Amino acid sequence: MTSGLGPAIGVAAAYLAVLSAPVVAPYDPTAQHREHPLAPPTGIHVVDREGRVHLRPFVLANGADGAARAYPVRFFTRASGDVEAPSSVRLFAVDPPAAIFLFGTDTLGRDQFSRLLYGGRISLGAGLLAAACALTIGVLCGCVAGFFGGWVDTAIMGASDIFMALPWLYLLLAIRAALPLTVDPGRALLAIVLVIGIAGWARPARLVRGVVSSVRSRDFVAAAAAAGASPARVLRSHVAPEAFSVALTQASILIPQYTLAEITLSFFGIGIGEPTPSWGTMIGAMLRQELSVAHWWLAAPAAALVGVSLLYHATADALHRRALTMGVTR
Amino acid sequence: MSARSAALRSLFIRHVVRAGAVLVVVSWLVFAATALAPGDAFGEARLERTLSPDAIAALRHAEGLDRPLLVRYARWLQSAAHGDFGRSIAYRAPIAPLVAQRAVNSLLLVAAALIVTWTIVLPLGVWTAARDRSTDGRIVAAGATALIAVPDLLIAIVLVLVAARSGVLPTGGLRAAGGADAAGFAAIADRIRHSFLPVLALTLIAAPPLVRHVRASLLDALASPYVLAAAARGIPYRRRLWRSALRAAANPLVSLFGLSFAALFSASMMVEVVMSWPGLGPLLLDAVRTRDEQVILAGVVLATALLLVGNSCADLLLRSIDPRISA
Amino acid sequence: MRRWALAFAFAVTAVAAGSAAGIRAVVVQSPGTADPMIVDGDVGRSGGALVIAARTEPKTFNPIVALDAPSRDVIWRMHADLIHINRETQRTEPALARSWTVSGDGLHYVLHLRRGVRFSDGHPFDADDVVFSFAAYLDERVHSPQRDLLLIDGRPIAVRKIDSETIGVDLPAPYAGAERLFDSVAMLPRHRLEAVWKAGALGDAWGISTPADDLVGLGPFRLERFRPGEEIALARNPDYWKQDRAHNRLPYLTRLTFAVVPSEEAQVIRLRAGELDVLNRVSSQHATTLDRDQANGPYELRDLGPGLEYHFLFFNQNDPAPAAVRAKQAWFADERFRRAISLAIDRASLVGLAYRGRATPIWGHVTPGNRLWANTAIAHPPPSRPAALALLRDAGFKQNSAGTLTDAHGNAVSFSILVAAGNAALTDMAAIIQEDLRRLGVSVQIAALDFNAVLARVLESHDYEACLLRLVDGDVDPNPEMNVWLSSGPTHLWRPAQTTPATAWEAEIDRLMRQQMTTLDAGARKRLYDRVQTIVAEKLPLVPLVSPNIIVAAKRGLGNFRPAVLDHYTLWNAEQLFWRATEARR
Repeated sequence: MTSGLGPAIGVAAAYLAVLSAPVVAPYDPTAQHREHPLAPPTGIHVVDREGRVHLRPFVLANGADGAARAYPVRFFTRASGDVEAPSSVRLFAVDPPAAIFLFGTDTLGRDQFSRLLYGGRISLGAGLLAAACALTIGVLCGCVAGFFGGWVDTAIMGASDIFMALPWLYLLLAIRAALPLTVDPGRALLAIVLVIGIAGWARPARLVRGVVSSVRSRDFVAAAAAAGASPARVLRSHVAPEAFSVALTQASILIPQYTLAEITLSFFGIGIGEPTPSWGTMIGAMLRQELSVAHWWLAAPAAALVGVSLLYHATADALHRRALTMGVTR
Repeated sequence: MSARSAALRSLFIRHVVRAGAVLVVVSWLVFAATALAPGDAFGEARLERTLSPDAIAALRHAEGLDRPLLVRYARWLQSAAHGDFGRSIAYRAPIAPLVAQRAVNSLLLVAAALIVTWTIVLPLGVWTAARDRSTDGRIVAAGATALIAVPDLLIAIVLVLVAARSGVLPTGGLRAAGGADAAGFAAIADRIRHSFLPVLALTLIAAPPLVRHVRASLLDALASPYVLAAAARGIPYRRRLWRSALRAAANPLVSLFGLSFAALFSASMMVEVVMSWPGLGPLLLDAVRTRDEQVILAGVVLATALLLVGNSCADLLLRSIDPRISA
Repeated sequence: MRRWALAFAFAVTAVAAGSAAGIRAVVVQSPGTADPMIVDGDVGRSGGALVIAARTEPKTFNPIVALDAPSRDVIWRMHADLIHINRETQRTEPALARSWTVSGDGLHYVLHLRRGVRFSDGHPFDADDVVFSFAAYLDERVHSPQRDLLLIDGRPIAVRKIDSETIGVDLPAPYAGAERLFDSVAMLPRHRLEAVWKAGALGDAWGISTPADDLVGLGPFRLERFRPGEEIALARNPDYWKQDRAHNRLPYLTRLTFAVVPSEEAQVIRLRAGELDVLNRVSSQHATTLDRDQANGPYELRDLGPGLEYHFLFFNQNDPAPAAVRAKQAWFADERFRRAISLAIDRASLVGLAYRGRATPIWGHVTPGNRLWANTAIAHPPPSRPAALALLRDAGFKQNSAGTLTDAHGNAVSFSILVAAGNAALTDMAAIIQEDLRRLGVSVQIAALDFNAVLARVLESHDYEACLLRLVDGDVDPNPEMNVWLSSGPTHLWRPAQTTPATAWEAEIDRLMRQQMTTLDAGARKRLYDRVQTIVAEKLPLVPLVSPNIIVAAKRGLGNFRPAVLDHYTLWNAEQLFWRATEARR
């Protein structure tokens, strides 16, 4: 556990799952099963009414005659039913009129499980990339500001004040209103990453800058500089390790936060548009519905986000610990 | 005049100048975005079928919305420099009295939340760092992580829901609605009861990332040569933790303190809306919806000023506890 | 000059007397209205307080300039008009004018004022106040949003005093249903406001920081206390001019409080917790939860069925339009295309999914909630993809092998729908339409913007392709709708402010709308407006989709709780509301 391998594998598994969405997801994430709006998760049975145990799990559904019938779950099968392009093999499926909704459906009868997988592609990607973008800029600026001080520091910190003070959501809303109406999902994703990254660098920059400026003034660093070590060398060997830990903590906080930031963006039509799912739009839709225990399955994306965040956190923790141990032995 | 006070004075002046510049840049960007986005304060009135385009044009003219962008901004800047923040179109009234009472309400809430948050964050951060190698410390750290991943809005709404179900706490407002004015001790008790839920919400929103940071800083500090040397000298762990490590970790913590003020303030906007707290949040939300541009500007400038004060305080504090950082 | 000075001196003494009076008004100075209005309804008990949820605080207490619904909800509890539209029957009824007569040509009205009516400061109300009020509303410098309603053919109505109890009103041109014009024109106290008006400051008068005693009106309540952002407490006006059948002075309630609760979620939670008594409007999503838990809760939910609000889809038919849009306007201009789109949309799904069943599908723009004017003969064609495809083929469109719909030049049919972000039902509707049209081979993109930006694109820049929008009527009468249906109207949404009608049917609508406005015979007028509705349903410049139900909720035990589908929903008869004995409270 302390090796950090477990959580890292968990993170990798989450990414693998969303990347293999076309196979794992039983339905097209945009398909509306209008006869099943807000359906609870489908019950999967192995024991039938007579008490016999079946090796192949089955679901119950009312057939054309209105009587309940058992429909076996088929594995590694061609998709059927609502999916209009049955090109790929699905991990599992049932024959219509039965339906298998592992995590229930949303207001429009779309399969939450399939949407969770497809949406994860966008959300996990966007959160990670945006955090990377913000941290890269932030650590760079923070190091430069803290290390050089003086007017460079004043300029960068002034800029960071502005970036932190700007009401980003409001500005984006205003800018969005003036832009062309339709943007394809790919570009929208890129825009989200860039916007969050550019809006978010200031906070890590401030934290890093505080650490760096204190490191710089320590005796041994000052001595190294006096001994003729180039600024780049001092930065690399003395300052960067200290900044690394701050950046790592920031990363484990920013990734889930930025995945959530996408909710707000989607909510105001700046994110990925309908019908493409993302965890942000799904959580946003959940929050716009009445919040009630009666539709608990709508919280699946929030639960997924918490799970993934915990994995990230554990991974970051393990990395942090390794860095510390290395620092001691150095 | 001593060299130190001269240095402090120049530092202070530098901070004020920088803050002024930041305020102007931020207000200009916000103003430009508001004014350039399609629609204006009378946008929704256009769908009002009793209003002719001429009447709307007259209304726009009366409020000066038909003037060039720069003229409008300059006029606002001028009035802001004189301490009044312009005029609200929706309220047809000056902004300063509109904002003042709400700003006080918001600040009271944020100040209370700031105190509660740091009272919880410091011990909890230290504790989770100290218990880093045991299960309970890790569970608490993981709990903080889980809370980071829960949308703020969800936290606020769930708290209101729980309060309503339990019936113990009022679910919103500054005091009991529709009731008569209470006086003296009863009024104070009522206020405290009503602020419990929003302060709790703000704490749950703001504390988890801070706990993570404090914990990480302390872990760093505990592993630093300085503290390790203290360990070698036989200084007991508990004292090492509270004295040496906390002092070594003070630097990022002070930066965080400044940032947490701004974070709490922006989170309080949403909490105020959900919990019907008569602060700046509902006012600004409404101003954004109705494109009441000078109210938006006043709100943004106020928020920015608070953020700058927080950051400057952190900066000055940083210098006073860490004299090696030169001015 | 002398009269000025006199009037001023009079106003000053009146103000002084009014503010000094205070409680005196209740005890001594209450001789009672000489001819009170007797209203129908249960005879209730006096006393008690009611707490109503408000989304935002009022922006002003000035009835002349108030633009937003939250302000009007509060203001109209404190003011009264001459002739009122009964929100329940949707017809006019006497208010401060106890009766009126009309000349044969419909141009001259004579209104007889109720005798012995007093303002909430005890000052008597007479014809001078009426003349003053209309002059204030009509004053261009005041910029009243209601001013245009009082103009007919661009000329103002003339209001003159015949004697202290009689008013003459002269219309510049015939206007059908002219008595509806008097609704929601507040009768204001001349003794309080004339000086302000003459100083040119009436528009900014009676803002929210006005002391409570300075706000004087003829409504059932008067301002007691205003806490910015928190609550507006209104107290019973002891001089109100309505009585119940047992001749008890109305209103029953001693206090009416509007509690500011910005989030609808919190409103619902606080209603369930018993902290709020009335929700003036509940969305369909929250209605589902409230309905499910009704048996355990202290409240009752009322679904009043469709109101006057209608949702529709329309296409950009502006000329000139931005180049990218122009390429698609050949489709949008073809009525077969619009009819095919209408046939492809499954309205039952819109109602069932986006509104949880709490809406009514519509095929014409006048909703069933408008009992007096809806044309019930309009056809309700069921959704049909084959029928839609047949229409499209007829118009030169083809489906290619991949199922994509292409026009005669082989271009794939695809357009974006503009929708206001943040409205769950509207965005859900857009997603359902997107899917319905995808099944037709049409690719639709949804663009969600804030409402203000949506309107700017529709009404100003014309930079959009299709738009999903809703209109809310204040009144059932077709006259306020003129601006939508006249081709020169500023809210002629699909093509605002054309100079000449672009199509023959738009010309016919123009003619019918103008004709109905001057037709005084109600039956003939209905036939004319029925024809307008038929044309709209056939040509579909706006594709009518659904009308959401008006849903309200209130704590159990509220007597005379008869919410209406017109504005002020639960509050229109606030003076009659009372708490039944068994639920005596507060």
